[in-house]
Amino acid sequence: MMNMTTLKDERFDTSYYYLQHASGLKIYVYPFKGFRSTYAIIGTKFGSLNASFKHNGETVTVPDGTAHYLEHKLFESEEGDAFAQYAKTGASANAYTSFDQTCYLFSCTERFGESLRILLDLIQSPYFTPETVAKEQGIIGQEIKMYDDSPDWRVTMNLQQAMYHNHPVNKDIAGTVETIAEITPEILYECYHSYYNLHNMVLAVAGNVDPEEVVAIADEKLKPNEEVCTESLFPEEPYHVKQSYIEQTLPVSIPMFSLGFKEAVGDGGEPSTKDLLCTAILLEAFAGGASPLYRDLLDRQLVNSTFGSEYRHGLGYRFIVFEGESTAPEEVAAVLKEAVRTLHQTGVSAEAVENAKHCLYGTMARSRDLPSSVARSLITGAFLDRDPFESAVLLDTITVEDVNERLKQQLDADNCTLSVIKGLEGIAES
Amino acid sequence: MGDFIRREICEGVAFNSIADDRFKIGRLSVTLVVPLNRQTAAANALLSSVLTRSCQAYPDMTALNKRLNELYGAALYAVVRKIGEFQIITLTASGLEDRFALHGESVSSELADLLCNILFEPNLTAGHFVPEDVEQERRQLLEDIDAEYNDKRFYAINRCIEIMCRDELFSISRYGGREEVAALTQEQLVAAWKELLDKAKVEIYMQGRADPSKALERFTAFFGSRPRRLIGSTKHISEVKEVRHIVETDEITQSKLVLGYRFAYPVTNRQRVTAMLLSAVLGGTPTSKLFANVREKQSLCYYCACANDNEKALLIVDSGVEVSNIQKTEEAILEQVELLQDGKITEEELVSAKLAVKNAYLSAMDNLPSIQAFYLQSILRSERLSPDEAAELAETITKEEIVDMAASLRLDTVFSLVGNE
Repeated sequence: MMNMTTLKDERFDTSYYYLQHASGLKIYVYPFKGFRSTYAIIGTKFGSLNASFKHNGETVTVPDGTAHYLEHKLFESEEGDAFAQYAKTGASANAYTSFDQTCYLFSCTERFGESLRILLDLIQSPYFTPETVAKEQGIIGQEIKMYDDSPDWRVTMNLQQAMYHNHPVNKDIAGTVETIAEITPEILYECYHSYYNLHNMVLAVAGNVDPEEVVAIADEKLKPNEEVCTESLFPEEPYHVKQSYIEQTLPVSIPMFSLGFKEAVGDGGEPSTKDLLCTAILLEAFAGGASPLYRDLLDRQLVNSTFGSEYRHGLGYRFIVFEGESTAPEEVAAVLKEAVRTLHQTGVSAEAVENAKHCLYGTMARSRDLPSSVARSLITGAFLDRDPFESAVLLDTITVEDVNERLKQQLDADNCTLSVIKGLEGIAES
Repeated sequence: MGDFIRREICEGVAFNSIADDRFKIGRLSVTLVVPLNRQTAAANALLSSVLTRSCQAYPDMTALNKRLNELYGAALYAVVRKIGEFQIITLTASGLEDRFALHGESVSSELADLLCNILFEPNLTAGHFVPEDVEQERRQLLEDIDAEYNDKRFYAINRCIEIMCRDELFSISRYGGREEVAALTQEQLVAAWKELLDKAKVEIYMQGRADPSKALERFTAFFGSRPRRLIGSTKHISEVKEVRHIVETDEITQSKLVLGYRFAYPVTNRQRVTAMLLSAVLGGTPTSKLFANVREKQSLCYYCACANDNEKALLIVDSGVEVSNIQKTEEAILEQVELLQDGKITEEELVSAKLAVKNAYLSAMDNLPSIQAFYLQSILRSERLSPDEAAELAETITKEEIVDMAASLRLDTVFSLVGNE
């Protein structure tokens, strides 16, 4: 009999399975009935933010962009390139590094077992030499330059750079051409041993999958890990934004803006599920497709359908962002700030909250149709030590009072930054 | 996935229902196909945004959006594409499957009604669309067209195709032209609406658990007595007299290099899948020739990939590189294409391309938008191809067939968007 614990995605009446493996790895399996494809992802709680840490009592600071560099290099082992191995199974493989995670993944429709073995080997066989590390400089250098030309990315990074004095969320995930030049095999090994410990990692598999097969392969492949103690270090971050405005000129034909409202982080931890739900409802009610604000911005010809809002948060940082394309970014910012001030006086209405809750429930249902989305939620949930599907159940219980209470801690019109990407002379008017 | 049932409502109008009980979201879409023409393309593009903004039942955008939220965040939207030298307009309504509705509502039938309303009963007063609606949507469409320049990879590929096909209809953008959009009148918009309903080839797709009979009835009532026949065809050029080299400059850090090839139009399903395999061997996977050599061996770039367009019979290779490496990268790409044409495909390359292509086909079956997008690829063909059939075909295609098709590749245009040193 299977030794996994059965859990429930209650709102959508689906069972999934959990096991804390003897090696230390947390394993989640979420089968999708009738699916042909399987999505498997393994992640470590290590991203660009974790550039300073205490490992075995020793404080280490690594060059910016190290987590992302490590992600690229882990694909190579002494036996060769993992892409070449996946090519033999037909799986489509990839990896990504965010501010606080590095994840390796594949999706496949056949030979799942072989691909899962490749994935588990991949994260357990670091192999870095001066030659292999040097080879990646050109490739990642071009990746960085590609992002330097991306107005979407620049508008976001500039915003974070202008909002945060010290917190490393103000730096690019991939680092710069200069910082990655300092990366050595020793640095990569140091990070690997500090963060790629199975106790710090989670495997999630969703789609066409038999939980027992996952456990059997984990038993075969995973080497027991001694729990290590790695503590990420973050500098003190003041409440107020560093600058209220930042701009950059790029060859764009329509300017882009990002308006971020920085907020207090309390004890420095992550917001609760309930807080996240309240914020999601708040943003939908305040600035969503059915809101008077969105209509007003459209009618004044200040935004277009690229307009949107989002809550971004992690260890030591939290902010709400409104972004999009606009021919008049400063006017948009003025309207939004004014609307925020008014919102603090009036609060959101019960009707708008109900409407937003309906909308959110549909969004949650939509995400349950995608194995990739479910698996990623499981990874993020595990890192926060919470049930990612609890929000669908909690949603019903959120009241207008909860949302307005939450509002009090958010959207401080006196603590925001506007980031703008302007076009070159002569282009903006074309 | 359950049965695929296709009913011809009348000549040129088909209702396809794909019963599928695996999902929490169902969808219904209407795809309209018309020959590509600069004037009408602009009108259809603007029309499709005007139609999804309001209708007689919900004459106000905000009221309509509120209703969609109430229906559990349902989506109602238009997508405009170009397939071969045809413009393809798809209006989609997607939303929660009825069994998940919290208060027993039938979301699916509400959405079917909404989709029919926006298409058949738009918000017209005295024969005109609401002027504010038109102006709002026109401004947004123009901004959308302008914004295509912001994404440099996308922009460079489009520029290459535009230059390459400058004397062909294919050079027309899916949204027509900027000037044409700016100049559209109410009369042209209303005429475009009537023309679409009367003359476009129509493919309706209903996917999910909902009973299709009511929607079928409503579409039959409207289209039943309006047969139509799609005219026009896509022009294919298989010979190139001279390779054009076009260089443009821009204030960018990373230069973009795009190579536009033509190849022999794939007529049969087997040839279509062969073209997919060719593209996968050359630059479709992390073990493809371009990725393995141009990126991994020579470290010239982060991406060097290719994509094939089977309706226009084009293959586009693109990469992002240092200015100083443009020449070297072009040579490296040409070398890989020559190797392919010389039949230098290893058994490993062949096997991994087949596995990757099969994986892509079969994975598409697990996602409703992908299933529909897959069938859309056959919209101009009399012979339909299902993902399963495509995956089976991929198994049986030989190296020789791929090399034969590669032999027809003709480099037409090399476009570089050159940035700062």
